[in-house]
Amino acid sequence: MSKHKIGLIFNGVWSQYTFAKAEKYKDIVELVYVYDVTDAAVATYDALIVPFQSNQSALAERKQVLFNFLAAGKKIFIEGDCTHNWLDAIWEDRPVNNYWWVKDPNNPPIAHTNFEHPVYTGLKPRHACWHTHGAYTKIPEGAEVIQTTADGEVITWQTTQYGGLLMATTLDPIVEHGIQQITHLDNYTDKLIAFLCGVQPTGAFNFNRADFGITLN
Amino acid sequence: MINACVVSNGIEGIENMFRSNQRVSYTLLPIGPQFNPDFSPFDLLIVPNGTDNIAMFNIKHLVAEFLNAGKMMFCFDGWFTDWVPGNTWIMDNAHKTIDIRYRIVQDRYKLFEGIDLHQFIFSNGISGWWACGHIQAAPGADIILEDTWQQPIMVLDEVSTNGTMLLTASGPMADMLFGTNDDGQDSWQEVGRFYQKLISWAETKIHQPKTIDI
Repeated sequence: MSKHKIGLIFNGVWSQYTFAKAEKYKDIVELVYVYDVTDAAVATYDALIVPFQSNQSALAERKQVLFNFLAAGKKIFIEGDCTHNWLDAIWEDRPVNNYWWVKDPNNPPIAHTNFEHPVYTGLKPRHACWHTHGAYTKIPEGAEVIQTTADGEVITWQTTQYGGLLMATTLDPIVEHGIQQITHLDNYTDKLIAFLCGVQPTGAFNFNRADFGITLN
Repeated sequence: MINACVVSNGIEGIENMFRSNQRVSYTLLPIGPQFNPDFSPFDLLIVPNGTDNIAMFNIKHLVAEFLNAGKMMFCFDGWFTDWVPGNTWIMDNAHKTIDIRYRIVQDRYKLFEGIDLHQFIFSNGISGWWACGHIQAAPGADIILEDTWQQPIMVLDEVSTNGTMLLTASGPMADMLFGTNDDGQDSWQEVGRFYQKLISWAETKIHQPKTIDI
C-alpha cells in the first residue's frame, strides 16, 4: 500500500517527473503512469493531480476512473489545458503572457482572485498568478469561480457536484514548479498540496542526481 | 525532402508544431500503452520537448537500431530515463536563471553562423528561459553550447552510434513554435531560424553519398 497521499497522473514528461522527485514532495506525491490508471491503482490516494501536458485522449479513455475517485469523496486537481471534453467544461487556448511582471507588473493576466479559498489564503497576487494556459469558456453548472481575467474569462474553478472536490485551473503550478524557473511557486504549490491531502510540505526544492539517467524495470 | 517522424504523447498543440512543408514530411507517431513504432521509413527522428520518457525507455533498442543504421535524431527534451545512447540529461536548479548565459564552444557545421545567440539567452529581458538542466555529454561528442558554469546545453554526437544526434538540455524547438506566445513571437524567432538551419544541415547529411568500408 502506498504511503503517498497524492497520485500524479504521469505522461512521462520531464517536468512532471522533476516535481514528483523533488525532496520536499517525493514522500507525498507519487507518479501514476497514465496507461496504468485504474480504480485499483488510485484507490489508496486522498487526491489526484492531473498536470499540464497530460495526454488528454488517454485521460478521456479513463475518465470514469477519475469520476469514480470523486464519487468516493476524494479530491482531484487539474491544471493547464483540458481538451477532449472529458470534463463538463470547455477549455480554449489563449496566448501565454509570461513576461507581464517585467513589462506591466501592475497588470497580471489574472485580475480577480477569491483569496478566501484555502489555496489562495495568504498569497500575494503575484504568487497567485504567473501565467495562464488558456481559459475555461464553460464550467459545470453551479461550479464556484475562484479566479478570472479582467475580461471575466474563467481561470480557476471548483465543484463538489461529483461527490468529492474537483478543482481546475489553467495555471500550471506543478509543471512550472518542476521546471524551476519561477522560484516563488513553493508558496502556491505547498498550499495546494496541504489543501489536497492535509500534509504540509517542508524543506527546499532539491534534486537527487540518482533520479536522472535512470533505467526502468 | 526529409522524411521525419515525431513521437507524440498527445500534449496539446504538438500537431501544429510539426506541419509538413516543402522541406520536411512529418509523421506523428502516437505513443500508447504498447508503443512499438517502425522507424525504418524515416530519415530523422524528432523527440520534442514534453515527450513520454517512459515510453522512450521501453523502445531504446529501436532508437539505437535507427541510429546505428546511420540515421539522425533531434532530441529537444529532458530525457530523465537512460534511452539516449551515450548521453545523460540532468536537471539542475543549483544556479539562478538570472545568471544563465550561453557560449558557443564547438560548432564544426557552423549551425550558429548568422544566429543571434542573445535571443536564446533572453526573452523580454528575462534570461535562462530556453533550456533546463544540462547534458552529461558522451566522450568525443561536440559540445555546441555550454552555460555559465561550462555545462553542456547543446550537444552534437556523431561518435556514440553510427548515426547523428543533436541534443538540447530540454530546450524546445519545432518547425512552428510561435503559436502560443503573445509577445509578437519575438522570443521564438531566433530559435525558429536555428531550427531551419538544422533542417538545412540535416538535408545535407541525409542526402550525402554514403561511403562503404570494404
